[in-house]
Amino acid sequence: MTKYILSRTLRSLLTVVIVFVTVFMLLRLMPLTGYFPQEILKETDEATRMTYLRNQGLLDHPFVQLWRFVKNLFQGDLGRSLTVYPKVPIATLLKEKIPVTAAFGFSSMVLGIILGISLGLLMVRYKDRWGDRLGTFYILVVRAVPSLIYLFFIQVWISKWFNLPLVFYKDRPESWILPTICLSLGSIAYYALWLRRFMVDEENRDYVKFAQVKGLPKKVVLRRHVFKNAMIPLVIYLPSDLLFIISGSLVIESLYAIPGTGGLLTNAIKSQDNNLVQVIVLMYAILSVIGVFLGDLLVAFVDPRIKLTEGE
Amino acid sequence: MKRALALLLALLLVIPMAACQTGNPSAADPTEAPAPTATQEPQEVQNAAEGIIGGKKYLKVYKTSFSSSYSSFNYFSTAYSTVRSIVSNCIDGLVEPDIYGVYVPSIAESWETNEDQTVWTFKIREGVNWVDHEGKDTGLAVTAEDFVDGIRYIGDPQNDAYSLRVVRNLIEGLYDYYWNLDDIDDPEVQTDLVRDEVIASFDETVGVKALDEYTVQYTLTSSAPYFLSLIESSMLLLPVEYDYAMEMGDDFAVDNEHMLYCGAYYISHFERDKAITLTKNPLYWDLEHITVDTVEYQMVPEGTTSLEMFKRGEVDDTSVEAEEYLSMAGTEWEDKLIPSERSLSTNYLWLDFQGENPEFNTFIQNENFRKALQYSLNREAIATLRDPVNPARILRNTINAEDAIFDGNGVDYTDYEPLKAIKETNYSNPELARQYMEAAVAELCEADGTIKGIEACTVDYLPVGTFEVDGKLPVTVIYVGTDDESEIIMAQLMKAMVEEAIGTDLINFEIAAFSGWTYGTVADPLNYDIYFDSLSTGYADPSGLLTRMTTDGAENVGCYEVPEYDALIEKSLNAATFEERLQYFAEAEAYLCNGAYVIPFISSLRGYYMTNSMPFTSPLTLYGNSKYKGTLVMEEPLTYDEYKTLEAAYDIARTEALKEN
Amino acid sequence: MESKKMPNAVLNPLKFRAAVFDTINSENTGFSNYSYWRSTIRTFFKNKAVVVLVALVFAMIVMSIFYPIFSDVDPTAVSLFPLDWNLRPSAEHWFGTDTLGRDIWARAWYGCRNSSLLGFCIALSDVGFGMIAGALWGYNKKLDPFMIELYNIMTNIPSTVYLVLLAYIMNTSFLTLFISMASRGWIVEARFFRNRILSLRDSEYNIASKCLGTPMRRIATRNIIPHIVSLIIMEAALCIPYSIGSEVFMGFVGVGMPVDAITLGNIVNQGRASFTLHPYQMLLPTVILCIITVAFYVIGNKFADASDPRNHV
Repeated sequence: MTKYILSRTLRSLLTVVIVFVTVFMLLRLMPLTGYFPQEILKETDEATRMTYLRNQGLLDHPFVQLWRFVKNLFQGDLGRSLTVYPKVPIATLLKEKIPVTAAFGFSSMVLGIILGISLGLLMVRYKDRWGDRLGTFYILVVRAVPSLIYLFFIQVWISKWFNLPLVFYKDRPESWILPTICLSLGSIAYYALWLRRFMVDEENRDYVKFAQVKGLPKKVVLRRHVFKNAMIPLVIYLPSDLLFIISGSLVIESLYAIPGTGGLLTNAIKSQDNNLVQVIVLMYAILSVIGVFLGDLLVAFVDPRIKLTEGE
Repeated sequence: MKRALALLLALLLVIPMAACQTGNPSAADPTEAPAPTATQEPQEVQNAAEGIIGGKKYLKVYKTSFSSSYSSFNYFSTAYSTVRSIVSNCIDGLVEPDIYGVYVPSIAESWETNEDQTVWTFKIREGVNWVDHEGKDTGLAVTAEDFVDGIRYIGDPQNDAYSLRVVRNLIEGLYDYYWNLDDIDDPEVQTDLVRDEVIASFDETVGVKALDEYTVQYTLTSSAPYFLSLIESSMLLLPVEYDYAMEMGDDFAVDNEHMLYCGAYYISHFERDKAITLTKNPLYWDLEHITVDTVEYQMVPEGTTSLEMFKRGEVDDTSVEAEEYLSMAGTEWEDKLIPSERSLSTNYLWLDFQGENPEFNTFIQNENFRKALQYSLNREAIATLRDPVNPARILRNTINAEDAIFDGNGVDYTDYEPLKAIKETNYSNPELARQYMEAAVAELCEADGTIKGIEACTVDYLPVGTFEVDGKLPVTVIYVGTDDESEIIMAQLMKAMVEEAIGTDLINFEIAAFSGWTYGTVADPLNYDIYFDSLSTGYADPSGLLTRMTTDGAENVGCYEVPEYDALIEKSLNAATFEERLQYFAEAEAYLCNGAYVIPFISSLRGYYMTNSMPFTSPLTLYGNSKYKGTLVMEEPLTYDEYKTLEAAYDIARTEALKEN
Repeated sequence: MESKKMPNAVLNPLKFRAAVFDTINSENTGFSNYSYWRSTIRTFFKNKAVVVLVALVFAMIVMSIFYPIFSDVDPTAVSLFPLDWNLRPSAEHWFGTDTLGRDIWARAWYGCRNSSLLGFCIALSDVGFGMIAGALWGYNKKLDPFMIELYNIMTNIPSTVYLVLLAYIMNTSFLTLFISMASRGWIVEARFFRNRILSLRDSEYNIASKCLGTPMRRIATRNIIPHIVSLIIMEAALCIPYSIGSEVFMGFVGVGMPVDAITLGNIVNQGRASFTLHPYQMLLPTVILCIITVAFYVIGNKFADASDPRNHV
């Protein structure tokens, strides 16, 4: 076990380093003009621009820049944002934004799991009857209708009917309701869909048939046998989902004016905010390897058939 | 000094008149028949307006929104308009416009200038102190030195000041000071200068001096009758508490706690990408004119959301786009829609004179071809995309905006001949476009349709794309714009117009949209044939735009070479009087438009707005950012009828006010 | 087990001989006439809803192939007269016209053709490559650590980073869009298939079958592929609507289709701006998009059910 964890950690570390260096180098391939917002570019001449780039250390050799970044990183300095939030320390930025997004992410994840699993169970329990059809209809609507349409509908009409605020306010708890619901719509469908699928698969297993033959009521079979086994493939993604609640949603955060991290990475990349991109990529890569690792641990924990050993 | 002021006042008088020429029915009455309004109606109109103003209850809080995320509050380096508008309420400049647009004292109590308007001296108000983000007195006074330090701050290349060019060229010695420092910083430049010595020489070499503690003097490189408007528009002439800024270093103004305030408000609350609150500065020198105690900004990224929030009373103003405008017909909001008043920004088509596309490059040197393009656009139809009801108010044929620059006699710059002729030309003429094109083809093509001296090749405009051209008619034209939906639609409409007018046998108009910041990847490296852009008149002088558009000017995106234009600009810069200067500028601008070296076609004006604030109660900021000083906030939205009455009364009042001066 | 090597001395070799494995007769046990594919198809079409949806999808495919060929309406014909813009549905324009007076009915079918083509290509490449890679990955233990790290690296580099770079060096075209979208989908699919194959390979009946000496090829074709087919179909069916939807994001990053190209994503995006004012502009494209998504989802699910050999009994 220790050996497994050790080798796993080493490999994960390698992954993180490769991801980080690749992204770091890719960013340095971007054209120099990209470091300037449109307005600034128009107002400045070539020489002034080079002055700016030199001040920011962007003209140094990529390896020099890499070394500087790593050195600062170990001193606990994440650097300052370049173009998206000029001169703002990245640590401050993340400290402000992550809690907001994480709070929404967590509540919508809990809501998604609870409702998603309930819906999935409902669909299995009443397979090929109204429960199943209702669930399928919901899943289809969420997946098929362009999200913009129903998100717009929820924001404008539902908020009117229930007299809820249109955008998010930190000090008004009722303003959390709609964004949280919007955020969880997709994951409810996701959990319901796959839980149903896996449970239907399990139901055909011999042990289930045996349990039924034994005379156990369907409810008990579903709960005691089928559900537990069907959850295993879903459980593996839970830690990753939990860690990535900090990544946020671009569309919904923009719709409800939530000052979170949604769209931060995309914006940073599009504006060539190297410093910000690097930090976010590094953070996400670390979280992702941790998430996968925890997922495996969790599966080993819930599924006694699986043992974590190197090379089996 | 008095003369300059009088001129300004007089010219401002004409603004409402010209505004009406664009066809705003509401404003038509008081201007088309000025005589009767001036004699009989004023009293009635005045009474009606007073009735409206008197019959309302006013609130102490103003709630507004902004759409894009902003970064720091560093007013010297920010390019974000939201930040600029917030800061202009928090840091006072030397002068400010009053509600009629007349410059009145702000931090400066009085000012004077010499005969040729190259030296401006300002007497600073005593007893104004900097306050911090809690509104507490720091004990630091705003002195002449703070204005000198503002220039000192932007003069150092390491502080990355934004939009430095105008000020850097205008203030004596600043240009050399900046570039000397830059040479020292650049490891590739050999120089004997020492940074500390150059910095120490600032007070000697740069034309801004604190004559005493409360007198600041600017020495300019050229005559600048427009200097007060530059103070209004440019953030770079604001004061700074230098020691404080230096102490903060990179942290200076990254949030509300790392800066000092001397304006009507201070930023009391700041939540990144979410909310900003401005609170009345208790130590403000002009406290009696501050009507709004608190201004609450909140971020609302989606336009439709802000409209909905306005309807529910959660914000006090909202813009209404053309589409939304139509959808509100017949609703309770119909009578509350007010057309946006003015935009100093003009939309252009740049033509690439040195591009890689051999077909276009051959043709663009030909004036007939350029005119064919110029006459092929139906400007009114394009404007219909922005305002389906009254598109005519959006049309603009000139580079500089109308109603923005006036001479000493109050004559609008765009009414100087030959610019006036351009302004009044109807450029929508497909037949003429076809004739011009045929003339161009006759000059440039063989009988079989091959373009002289051109071979088939692949045009490399990456990252926009690569294009195959065959060296034969039709001429391939590559239009590049951003991938913004509304811009794509405009481009598609232009394509249809050009191909319809000129004929697909002669022209092939291709659209290539590029996502992201087009200037750096498209315009600057000349990866286009036709490029859509906008520029705005920054202050009360045509030089702001026109001097940038000379053959080697910074804004000559198309890289044309027009020595005649350069000569006219040179002449105007050396002109003896302001009128003569405007005359030459008008000739230069007309020359550029006439030869279709650039094609300005509409203003950036768009849409309508709704508001809870009483109009004409805050300073008329033509060039700078709006201020909340004096703004009256109502409980109910303003109706269009009220607006019309108030506007009529305002016009009369302003005429009176200007006469008195 | 031992009998083959050492024939029992008591038995007379003249009277007994070792049976040869008879491939033909071994099939005849159990269900007579059982054919996996026939059974799948029969189960599949038993459901009425499925028949309707298949017919609908078929009709839409036919329509989007033949409409552009036989119609003389130009979907890019812009009207220069503002009066022709934003027309409501009429006899001439069944679903009205858009902001520039282009016929929405015609645009929808052109868009449907382009988008579906893209969707099919992406589904084919993602699921195709993904399955091959997943099979290799699942069956070759030496490959496993390498592939896992490759997967981790590929999924951790934000696609926007290289898509933005790709946009700098390539034209906006169908091919660029295809490359950008297909560049990563396969590894996600590969991992998915790897996990399923791994669990199937190690399931008891396959281990038993292997011990009984069944050739690997036979296990793969008879015991593993039928189980995977249901997954393949379902993944492919889900992939098609997904790629139609993500095309819009690709445009945002700069590797989308050329502006003039008509895709469902484009049309819906354009209609979005005027959604409150002219909702009918979005009606047809949205309905088509919904039908595609729903149909493929249901068909995928039902086919997966039908092709699952466990459901055949």
